[in-house]
Amino acid sequence: MAVSRLVLGGLLSAALSVSAVGAANAETFKVEGEMKPAFIYFNVKNDGGWVQALDEARVKVEENLGIEIPFTEKVEEVATQIRPAVERYIDRGYNVILGSAFGYSDTFKELAEKHPDVLFLNPAGITNGPNLMSYYGRTYESQYLCGMVAGAMSKTGKLGFVAANPLPLVTWTVNAYALGAQRMNPDATVNVVFTGAWYDPVKEREAALALIEQGVDVIGIHVDTPAVPVVAQEKGVMATGHHRDMTEFAPDSTMCSSVWVWDKFLTPALKAASTDGLEMQPYGAFLSIKNGGTDIALSDAVPADVKEKVMAARQEIIDGKHVFEGPVAGQDGSEKVAAGAHPDDGQMWGMDYLVKGVVGSLN
Amino acid sequence: MTTETVSSNPTPAEARRGLGRVTLEVRQRMPAWKHGLILALSLSCGLAIGVAVLWASGVAPKGIYEEFVLYTFFNAKGLANVLVECTPLILVGLSAAMAFRVQFWNIGLEGQLILGGMGAAFFALNDIGPPETRLALMLIGGLAGGALWTVIPLLLKLKLNVNEIISTLLLNYVAFQLLQDRLYGAWQDPDRFPHSPQLESVERLPRIGFGDVDSGIWVALAAGIVVWWLIQRARIGLFMTFVGSNARMSKAIGLPVTAVVAGSVLLSGALSGLAGFVVVAGQEYRLTTTFSGGYLFSGIVIAFLARNNPLAAVVVAFLLGGLYVGGQSIQIFYNLPAGVIDLLQAIIVMSVTASELFVRYRIIWRRA
Repeated sequence: MAVSRLVLGGLLSAALSVSAVGAANAETFKVEGEMKPAFIYFNVKNDGGWVQALDEARVKVEENLGIEIPFTEKVEEVATQIRPAVERYIDRGYNVILGSAFGYSDTFKELAEKHPDVLFLNPAGITNGPNLMSYYGRTYESQYLCGMVAGAMSKTGKLGFVAANPLPLVTWTVNAYALGAQRMNPDATVNVVFTGAWYDPVKEREAALALIEQGVDVIGIHVDTPAVPVVAQEKGVMATGHHRDMTEFAPDSTMCSSVWVWDKFLTPALKAASTDGLEMQPYGAFLSIKNGGTDIALSDAVPADVKEKVMAARQEIIDGKHVFEGPVAGQDGSEKVAAGAHPDDGQMWGMDYLVKGVVGSLN
Repeated sequence: MTTETVSSNPTPAEARRGLGRVTLEVRQRMPAWKHGLILALSLSCGLAIGVAVLWASGVAPKGIYEEFVLYTFFNAKGLANVLVECTPLILVGLSAAMAFRVQFWNIGLEGQLILGGMGAAFFALNDIGPPETRLALMLIGGLAGGALWTVIPLLLKLKLNVNEIISTLLLNYVAFQLLQDRLYGAWQDPDRFPHSPQLESVERLPRIGFGDVDSGIWVALAAGIVVWWLIQRARIGLFMTFVGSNARMSKAIGLPVTAVVAGSVLLSGALSGLAGFVVVAGQEYRLTTTFSGGYLFSGIVIAFLARNNPLAAVVVAFLLGGLYVGGQSIQIFYNLPAGVIDLLQAIIVMSVTASELFVRYRIIWRRA
């Protein structure tokens, strides 16, 4: 089951391994000889979400760099499947292994130590090393922008959100969604439902129906299937997507989507690895809209004035504004982030509260 | 010799055309060599279709031979990968065979495997017992966890005649929820991601010095020998054959039917639990939400292809491991979709299923 992979992390850095690694030098990794990358997917490439976004990036990187990047599908998140797949590639001269899952973290760490001349890059991973880097996107930025669209488009001011598991990286998307909505409509509320699974179209569908029954008219998601936008379309309400542009599945209901733009990270990263050397980061790469992890895709249904405001906010984020800039209040009104301050990455990876206006519980 | 005619009468049209008629007769018995020959032929037939499918997808027979035979079985690295892959497969195959022999359709292998992994992890995470006995306790925890997960369907079946296909299947989902509950709760790693902390070195099955193969392979082979002895040599094996063929008759002649069924099913669960133990302690080194993936289907396929024979199950598990390893390699070097490998497996299973017709019936064609 594909349950865990989106969980990410590399950077939970500060929060968890407080003292372990000191100020590591910015080390670089250079691929010797001709660069030959290969992708390992934990699921089929056309899964409609996470893997498909990676595969779309693969094709773009191929074009950008003029190289071929082969891939293998359905290498499940167990060592016994990952190891032979990776070693087959390495045995035949591949020197950059691109992963696709949280569940690859341990095995990639082991393989990276065994093959110090091969570069390993793993999205949603939590392990790093001299030749291994995990990467993930600051989804709270793109989900904040989606929240703005939702807040502006909603007539009732009641929004819904269908989320997978109550992990910090999911919690922050829910919170950011609410903060974005409240920027457009200070009274907006977000009813959140956790399905307990990344991929469960049946439960997602039920959750969406229940939310609609409660009077919600825009639903956001952080799950792997397009079930919620599809239900929204059937019921004549609006939705916002995650992973990829959901207008593909629900053209009428999808107002915007938080999308992955991995090629914007992978193209320069691979180019660097084959030339001057890729700068390795001890806690992985935590990518913002600015350096190409995540972004927003707006549909044509969004009115021009809303679009303008959203794009202006996007520019603010690129210029350095933090979505969780204080004051941010928790559900009970208590102060979570002081005015003018913002959480550091460690605090983001430890986010264990819901903000004011979110209806629901993490337990 | 008496035979029972199942279908005969040709249509008048056929008779007129002089095609004769085809009659199926139920066979009373079949010599082992003939049975083996039919199986071998059907398997060859399936393999031939598989080769044709791969050829049509752009893999020449030479490539198929290289990837599936040369690099998979006759190359140290490939063989090591196959052994790693087949270690849990042997155990789930034996598990399925054990239950199927007494006509208990255990579709809960995966849930039992999860509980086995959790049973093993329980001893590891709580540091129970001195380090020297830790692995032994974890092994027992695996056996116990798996066996425990068959108790409910077993009782439901024996007391209330509840269909075990449904109850064992549904308990897979319950097991997964239990696992998630632990991994998002009490057993969560301090890094706050949904997996348990890593096992300490004394809690890991040592490598045997051949590739990444761990000593779980000895556990699996030992289980194969024990099950073989139970089924082919011990009295319970004879009882199981009786009960599997006709439970009511067995009861009538005074066999302990309930005990035989219960014993077989508990052992079946224990074997799947043991598979969970070898996956967690031998390769994954922690509980994850994904460690149980895919073993239900594999276990059933192995038991089916092996005709519930324990030694055959070991061999089939080894070959299936080879199919997975070679299949991954074919995918990698010919860029085939993952579905092609599933298709190969399905073709082979269907060919063997079809051979059942020739094993059960004698086909007689008489000229008009």
